[in-house]
Amino acid sequence: MNKNPIANAERMLIPACSIDEDVGVVTLKLETPGVTKEGLNVSVEANTLTIEGRRGGNPPSGEWLLRERPAGSYRKIFTLDETIDRDKIEAQLADGMLTVRLHIQEAAKPREIAIN
Amino acid sequence: MELVPWNRNVPHDLWDAFDDLRSEMERSFGGFRFPDATGLLDRTGSPAIDVVETHDEILVMADLPGVRKEDLELNLAGTLLTIKGSKRNEQNSEKRRIFRKETWAGSFARTIELPANINNESVDAELKDGVLSVRISKREEAKTKAISVRVE
Repeated sequence: MNKNPIANAERMLIPACSIDEDVGVVTLKLETPGVTKEGLNVSVEANTLTIEGRRGGNPPSGEWLLRERPAGSYRKIFTLDETIDRDKIEAQLADGMLTVRLHIQEAAKPREIAIN
Repeated sequence: MELVPWNRNVPHDLWDAFDDLRSEMERSFGGFRFPDATGLLDRTGSPAIDVVETHDEILVMADLPGVRKEDLELNLAGTLLTIKGSKRNEQNSEKRRIFRKETWAGSFARTIELPANINNESVDAELKDGVLSVRISKREEAKTKAISVRVE
């Protein structure tokens, strides 16, 4: 066992992520191939949104002829600002893509004010 | 094959310092691959592939996040396995503002050569959670067999 605690820490992968906003909804799309629903953990604590994903199944045993896929678990941490409604966060996992929808609070949405 | 103990438990080994340095460098340089860069001709334009040979089959695994089964095409010609497909782009809306774009959409193809001892007739492919797994059996004569040796 290596004596350096940093060297023994688990290496986490940062998944590729796209962020866009469309009429009051911010959508995060993350590439998390191999992550099962059971291995996924999305949590919000104060201003921090943490997404962690673990690949399902065990790596096969045998002789590796080619090894390009990154091994390890995914982790991505976002900081949420005040405009995001903490109670309306939806996450969906399909085909190795995780989609997280963050709704902008009604009070923070831009609105037009009628002029009398 | 020589049998050498991988990790000798020598207390306060001077070489530990070098091991730490080496693993630290591996972490730093290996980390450049993530998050994957984007672009059609980039690394992500052809999927990352693992090939594992076990005693009776060849297992090919590819990361294909967001690729649907109907958009994927597999082809095995001789020992050449081609994985071809496309990832659909999400529909665009007028009001959509993009803040960050790291994920990728478009078509991709990759061909790899498998060992010659495979049995083309016995192929099984599965696409699950964005990972494609293709299992190709080896030919009977290529499978490793345990030979029991009788000791008298």
